[in-house]
Amino acid sequence: MSNRTNSLLCAALLACGSLATSPAAADDIVLGASVQMTGSSANTGRYYKDAYAFAIEKINAAGGVSVGGEKRKLALKIYDNQSDVNLSVRQYTQLIAKDRVALLLGPFASNFALADSAVSEKYKVPMVQGGGASDQIFSRKFKYIFGTLAPASNYFGSTVKMLKELDPVPKTVALLYADDAFDVSVAEGTRPLLKEAGLDIVMDEKYSSNASDFNSLLSQIKSNGAEVVLVAGHETEILNFVRQAKSLAVAPKMYSFTVGVPSEDFRKALGADADYAFGMTAWLPSTELKDRWFGDAAAFAKEYKAKYSYDPDYHAASGAADVEALAQAIENAGDTDPAKVRDALAKLNFDSLYGKIAFGEDGQIDLPQIVIQVQGSELKAIYGPGGLIEKPKYPMPAWNAR
Amino acid sequence: MNLLAQILINGVLLGGLYAVMALGLALVWGVLNIVNLAHGAFIMLGAYLSWHLYSYLGIDPFLGLPLTAVLMFALGYGLQRGLLNLVVRAPMFNTLLITFGLEVVLTYLAQLAFSADFRTINPTYAGNSIALGPLVLPQARLMAFGVALGLTAAMWVFLLRTRLGRAIRATAQNLTAARLYGVEPRHLYAVTFGIGIGLAGAAGGLYGTVSQINPYIGAMLTAKCFAIAIIGGLDNPFGVLVGGLVLGIIESLAMLYIGATFGDVASFGVLVAVLIARPSGLLGKTA
Repeated sequence: MSNRTNSLLCAALLACGSLATSPAAADDIVLGASVQMTGSSANTGRYYKDAYAFAIEKINAAGGVSVGGEKRKLALKIYDNQSDVNLSVRQYTQLIAKDRVALLLGPFASNFALADSAVSEKYKVPMVQGGGASDQIFSRKFKYIFGTLAPASNYFGSTVKMLKELDPVPKTVALLYADDAFDVSVAEGTRPLLKEAGLDIVMDEKYSSNASDFNSLLSQIKSNGAEVVLVAGHETEILNFVRQAKSLAVAPKMYSFTVGVPSEDFRKALGADADYAFGMTAWLPSTELKDRWFGDAAAFAKEYKAKYSYDPDYHAASGAADVEALAQAIENAGDTDPAKVRDALAKLNFDSLYGKIAFGEDGQIDLPQIVIQVQGSELKAIYGPGGLIEKPKYPMPAWNAR
Repeated sequence: MNLLAQILINGVLLGGLYAVMALGLALVWGVLNIVNLAHGAFIMLGAYLSWHLYSYLGIDPFLGLPLTAVLMFALGYGLQRGLLNLVVRAPMFNTLLITFGLEVVLTYLAQLAFSADFRTINPTYAGNSIALGPLVLPQARLMAFGVALGLTAAMWVFLLRTRLGRAIRATAQNLTAARLYGVEPRHLYAVTFGIGIGLAGAAGGLYGTVSQINPYIGAMLTAKCFAIAIIGGLDNPFGVLVGGLVLGIIESLAMLYIGATFGDVASFGVLVAVLIARPSGLLGKTA
């Protein structure tokens, strides 16, 4: 067998097992996580793996965290859950019961966080997660789960506000959402906002996660003439949605998507067809967001890109903020005892590259969503808490008039 | 009314794509008695191959189809001679196990080689459409549909009219008699599997022009192909075409009238109904 096949095989075997990024020394504080490195959610899952490792490396480079006057390093114990919820629950149980990690970082996606937070609650080990935004995660009065994504129910909040300031003001809306915890929460939160804004919901339709054919839904949009189309789904679905909208010549006045638009990979896959797409992000790499370890968010984004050769989006920033939240809470508590760290987390209030980290009663952070749009080859911030930032490209022209 | 007509067009075009995907699976299943659980993974590989040809060499995905198919044929031929020939006469369970293993290995090698990034094959005309009054015919899907019809007809002619095709059918029907007539089954099996994988590769190229590619699309596609092969029957390539069309139309109608989460429910519902009413497929010979 040649060397090349050998190394391929080794790599394949490695990819199947777990990966500990750095061997932990005896007095290291080990943070445990299980994320999607392979499987259908690997595309976004890897942002968390990279962000966790990146933030830990940075904190360690600055000497680590001080616990009771003594500096201690952080270490990461991370498993690949293969995009399988049941496996991730087993891995979190293993992290606590067998690997004896000190504290937990979260998985990606709401349905994972929903299941895995039951493990952290049972063993009373705090989990700070930046991958699950569904309100369901935080509505169970759990005491050991903290989330750094803004609530799913408010993802379209700023978008709906912006609709009132568009010219001409749209009247009809189609709301499409995938059938999983996050997207259902988004839809449940968006419906009352649309009604309040006096918009007519002409279509309100749930579709199967991982659906690849949107021709039926798109034909309905064309037939009911919805001016605004809001889609809460996954990146694969949204790619298919946009491509098929083009091939069926369906061009509403605007469409906006919960995911995809902020990530570079999405814009690359669609090329020029990504133009005009609206989305949202709770984070933009601005120099105004000061950070103890990275300086500011812009510096974080630059270093991150240099290391991983892709631009970090809000998922990555949220993941890095999770590590910082744990580090800060350990310092505030002066201890790594899970119960003490948990109380320190609940009281946390500090500025980070991701924004102000302060958890609400339910454990979730509240950050406003900034409306963004792809304009040409650039991603522009359009509408924030203070109103319009940049002129939106609206209405979207017909596909053959671009 | 326009909506219904548009949905039917969508269903027919989707069905054509489904049919190309399932042709190879049905052939391999019918002749070698191997239910190839890795079929979807081969479609995925074909899609990546087509994507690479397009992105790096600028070869149009439709013009590149023969090249993709030939390369995938070679891969299929090699895999059959080296690996799958071990299980041709083995119990069904072994063939399922080995093709399932192959699916896992191919998927993870694909992630290693191509990363989990989403890819699309996006030639300038991919999003074009032809307007027929209020109705719209997406160009890429229409072309894929044409390829589907062409491949089905070509398969039919090949199996019925050519010497090699007849030998393949003879081997499937009666191995001993075929051998007496000088058919060399090892080579023939490998050719059949190669054709199956070549068809999967071509289907992948088409799939990439209308949808997105990532290493994990395989399992879902295998399930679809399996349903189509059962609905259409294994005897005849036209059965597969009918199976694909039935599935495409029923899925599209279910999404319109019942709800967008019911596409799969409807298609597998049809699968069960066909298994009860006509176990050898809609166009299959009744036993």
